[in-house]
Amino acid sequence: MQAQERSYKSQKVIDRMAKKLNRQIAGSLAACVHCGNCTDSCHYVLANPGDPTYAPAYKADRIRRIFKRHFDWTGGVLPWWVKAGSVFTDQELEELKDVAFGKCTNCRRCSLNCPMGVDFAVVNRMTRGLLVSVGVMPAGVAVVSKDQWEIGNQMGVLKEDYVETIQWMSDELVEALGEPAAAIAIDKPGCEIMYTINPREAKYDPRTISDAAKIFHAAGESWTMPSEGWDMTNFGLFSGDDDLGGVVARRVYEKAIELGAKRVVMSECGHGYRSTRCEGPNWAGMDVPFPMESSVVTMLRYINEGRIKVDKTRNTTPVTYHDSCNNARSCGMFEEPREVLNLVVTDFREMYPNRAENYCCTGGGGAMSMSEYTPQRLKSAKVKADQLRATGAKVVVTSCHNCVDGLVDLIRHYKLDMKVTQLVNLVSDALVIEKRAAVPVTEIAAALVLAGRRILVVDDEPDVRTFLTAMLEDNGATVFAAADGNECLALARKERPDLITLDLSMPGMDGGKVFEAIRKDPELAKVRVCIITGKPELRKLIYERDVTPPEGYLDKPVSEETLLTNVRRILEITGEHKAH
Amino acid sequence: MTAEKKFKEKRISIVVDDITTLEIDAFVFYASHDLQLGAGFGSAISMRGGPTIQEELKKFGAVETGAAVTTSGGELKAKYIVHAVGPRFQEADTEGKLKAVTLNALKQAESKGVERLAFPTMGTGFYGIPLDVSAKVTLGTIREYLANGQTKLKEVVICARDTRDVKPFQTVLESLS
Repeated sequence: MQAQERSYKSQKVIDRMAKKLNRQIAGSLAACVHCGNCTDSCHYVLANPGDPTYAPAYKADRIRRIFKRHFDWTGGVLPWWVKAGSVFTDQELEELKDVAFGKCTNCRRCSLNCPMGVDFAVVNRMTRGLLVSVGVMPAGVAVVSKDQWEIGNQMGVLKEDYVETIQWMSDELVEALGEPAAAIAIDKPGCEIMYTINPREAKYDPRTISDAAKIFHAAGESWTMPSEGWDMTNFGLFSGDDDLGGVVARRVYEKAIELGAKRVVMSECGHGYRSTRCEGPNWAGMDVPFPMESSVVTMLRYINEGRIKVDKTRNTTPVTYHDSCNNARSCGMFEEPREVLNLVVTDFREMYPNRAENYCCTGGGGAMSMSEYTPQRLKSAKVKADQLRATGAKVVVTSCHNCVDGLVDLIRHYKLDMKVTQLVNLVSDALVIEKRAAVPVTEIAAALVLAGRRILVVDDEPDVRTFLTAMLEDNGATVFAAADGNECLALARKERPDLITLDLSMPGMDGGKVFEAIRKDPELAKVRVCIITGKPELRKLIYERDVTPPEGYLDKPVSEETLLTNVRRILEITGEHKAH
Repeated sequence: MTAEKKFKEKRISIVVDDITTLEIDAFVFYASHDLQLGAGFGSAISMRGGPTIQEELKKFGAVETGAAVTTSGGELKAKYIVHAVGPRFQEADTEGKLKAVTLNALKQAESKGVERLAFPTMGTGFYGIPLDVSAKVTLGTIREYLANGQTKLKEVVICARDTRDVKPFQTVLESLS
């Protein structure tokens, strides 16, 4: 029998597959026993009962057969038994494209429900990458990929338009708050935070930028937005193009290093969070020298540390929360958004199932870019629509821009009486900005704003003690200083300060133990505490303790302005009190 | 300027920048067969350069791989854009086609009297040509062309989009004599 001729592209797909197989993918391709447990976990299956071509195991078999035929010994010995097969024509590649891009959002719900540990999403992503490498991809995927490769973000926002949008938001915020200090700095070196966003924010939803800026300002944060490397989304995650994944992640990391930012914060985007924080370092082949976190975590920290105040009665509409697949299922961020929600809204209702078992919005990290698959995507969205409707909520909150678009689309399609919003909007709406924040530090300082206040400075480094003592005394405070935990507790009991500034890393009793001792001492329990540390990794010394969190938290080195702003906030000294 | 090398009175340099914003006589755009500007740098050309560029391309219709055509730079800083259709996505004979399109782009620029011409890292990125292949073929072709005493070209700039692109091109540039 004459061997079937293979097309050039088909051969290239097989050749490249050899390079892409790793243990995770090979394990997922080899381990499936076709038990069917994945079937009912897929929203495509649930919305298309009776159509087996949507079953994850069936979809995986489209690429598994090629693996069995070319790379697994079982396919060489018993090809009919293991259903080994190959790919020969460009038409077959097109059919594979319709499966890999059109019948799966890579939400990984089936992966979590597989008793064999098969992760179909990684197999599907590899398949997408193989197809992209020979130019077989939906037109929308090509456009978005090319924009991100060449313009630098996946929505083709030009640098000048991005900068103009930031400046516009900045000007509006400054005007609204009446505070020049609220301006958004671009490329400011040496900040605590470099804030990165989804290009959708610059293009369609700039309010999320100004809301975030408002929160950073209220928290007294030192932050900046970069002029390059600002897109923390990464279409390589969606398209399977690891090279794109590496380039995009590297842009963010290199910019943060150039600016000397101590931390990168990503706005609410599941796709961006997973690709930049979790997958990016591997794609880029870089050791990233700074922590990265979702703005959800940042906002929660600000509230818990008392750096911002929120009033939940400003958000009384019933809300529910949609877990982004990338944030939740793939990165384990379940509780933080719920903690924030419970602090900023009065009526939060869970949808069921939730957390790791929540259903995909069908926006799928980029699925909205493929208009040819919109009908089947929206059909599969019935599962999500039923979930949303059952909550009775009027607002669905999500920490993902792709999910925002996916949810808006399905809400319109299924005629649900709901709106979509994000945590940053709700936190901003609940934010209590007191007039004291508007008073320039220099003006207050001139009036000895800390007059009459008793502050205990605790630090084992003499230079730091001297520096903090001088700044606080210059502003009118009566200052006591201690070099270790025992001295701190003794002085605190003797002098009864209004505030203790507490270092964490000290010889003998560390700051965490000192803090717990303060909180558990009935005489000292209500003394306000501001942690000032040069080792942020020691935060767990504080926040893992079962006591009331500190009223403030500052990282060293601390500037005079930051120190005074925070001391005033903690001691609730407003601008009107400057006659002290 | 990331790197440069002089060859008598000619110069080849490497920079990291957005090629559509360069102040230069002409730059090469890695075009598609139908000469639609499309996404990526094509979108930047449309938005920054205005609609006349796509209008000018209409007269050429569709072109084959290896061909290059020239339009004005519209409202861009560059006076001309050389639209060069190179190989893509692991296409057969990538190196041969890349050499041909690079040479045709140089000739197009020459025909317009260009003295300073910028190339992108031809075919890398979205179209998937490996950086080392692109560097070897395009720089080799450019060097060969500049050695021709008849050319009016004085400087060729390789404009990299990302820092990762620089090293492979720099390595090849340093090896050229």
